[in-house]
Amino acid sequence: MVSILAEKGGITRRQFFKGAGVLAVVAVVAGVFAKIGIDMFKVSDDYIAKRAAGLYTLDEKMAIRKSHENPEIIQLYKDFLSPGEVKPMTEKAHHLLHTRYGQDIPALLEELRHYQGEAA
Amino acid sequence: MNAVEVGIIRVTSSCKGCDHCTSICATGAISGEMGEKHHIDLKKCISCGQCLINCPFSAIEDTSMVDTVKRALADPDLFVVVQEAPAVRVALGEEFGLAPGTNVKGKMYAALRRLGFDRVYDTEFAADLTIMEEGTELIHRVFKHLGVAGFEHAGPLPQFTSCCPAWIKYAEDKFPDLLPHISSAKSPQQMFGPIAKTYAAQKLNVHPTKMFVVSVMPCTAKKYECNRPEMMASGYKDVDAVITTRELAAIIKEAGIDFVNLPDETADNLVGLSTGAATIFGTTGGVMEAALRTAYELLSGQTLGKVELHNVRGLKPVREATIDIPIKDLGRTLPVNVCVVTGIKHVDGVIEEVLAGRSPYHFIEVMNCPGGCVNGGGQPIRRDTY
Repeated sequence: MVSILAEKGGITRRQFFKGAGVLAVVAVVAGVFAKIGIDMFKVSDDYIAKRAAGLYTLDEKMAIRKSHENPEIIQLYKDFLSPGEVKPMTEKAHHLLHTRYGQDIPALLEELRHYQGEAA
Repeated sequence: MNAVEVGIIRVTSSCKGCDHCTSICATGAISGEMGEKHHIDLKKCISCGQCLINCPFSAIEDTSMVDTVKRALADPDLFVVVQEAPAVRVALGEEFGLAPGTNVKGKMYAALRRLGFDRVYDTEFAADLTIMEEGTELIHRVFKHLGVAGFEHAGPLPQFTSCCPAWIKYAEDKFPDLLPHISSAKSPQQMFGPIAKTYAAQKLNVHPTKMFVVSVMPCTAKKYECNRPEMMASGYKDVDAVITTRELAAIIKEAGIDFVNLPDETADNLVGLSTGAATIFGTTGGVMEAALRTAYELLSGQTLGKVELHNVRGLKPVREATIDIPIKDLGRTLPVNVCVVTGIKHVDGVIEEVLAGRSPYHFIEVMNCPGGCVNGGGQPIRRDTY
């Protein structure tokens, strides 16, 4: 194939048909692989969509569908995180449930050690 | 040496050097000559496992904590509790011949009890807790933005979600200036751990040193997250070990449990109850929808009639929506602009707008894996897609 493309002094009619034939085969093979690629993408999307649909169906079947109405969450706040009331972002919640990122991690580690030293 | 230093994802000697993974990896962590074994740069890897589930030769593996979990279950002195992420229950069945999306929640609880866990709780409980904290944080940031007195210390808008550990590492590595925009609320997995070892341990009269917390996750990055050094708010390692959906299926098979014929059971109470809002955390757009259901009701003082927010659903990589929320305390309606990104390759444009001060959004959800946790790196591998 390379020899056909590299022919210097022009090509004969026979060589032209041979080259065109090779190109046609290459085009068909490429087309088939592209089709397989598209199908793979579709199949992959399909099982993701089915798993997501499973979660949405489960949501519809749940007796409670909003986080702030979860009775065990309300109990956790009233008994432990914000005694007597439901109040997010208290100091206790901040210590247990919030974090920091990147360069702030060493300072957070220091705070955690200090907090646990006081608690002990 | 812990898993943060050694990494979670490894290329094995079965690698054929086909180079497919380098096109999957969003951080450019994988390199290698065509036809030769590839190599993962741990500094760049965000442990998401997308290369692993997409490798045509099964040549990529993740660090296993299965033996640690088995030892804990066999130890009579330990009180072993387990939590399972939402996405596990709609994919675990695939390992036992069921169709993708089949809900096996009840059988999953039953199987975990038969494996010997002392309490079977649910990460969905902690997802509800995440909404309480993260939703309140968002309200504080919005009030600060509107100039309401008393909220001066709140962070800037837009607020980004923080549930996805691969996304967190991506932002820490590549966009340190963005970090004040990311919610300080921990992910559901890491909220469950400290609540189990403080609140639940007290209620159950178990000493926290005797409690062992296991997570079943659709995710390989959760293994990295539980080993981050700051994840010890309880005074102990908050989450002791993480296994994936695939690994749970293998343990169930090894124990000879007839999974598909198990009865449907429920989670234990105390920190095991969940809501529909928590269930949809496992899919792209779900955290946003759950947060809006709660934020709307808390801000407006009104009950949301129709809880489904269809305009944040779907599989398009970047989606946006505007929800008008009447704010009772301020006597005005605020159009809240939200954005959902799925597939970390699509997030850079959204971030650059935020850093340039041009972002129109109040709240942005980011999940690393295309489609969200349902397509996580710890989920059953679909060989039928090749």
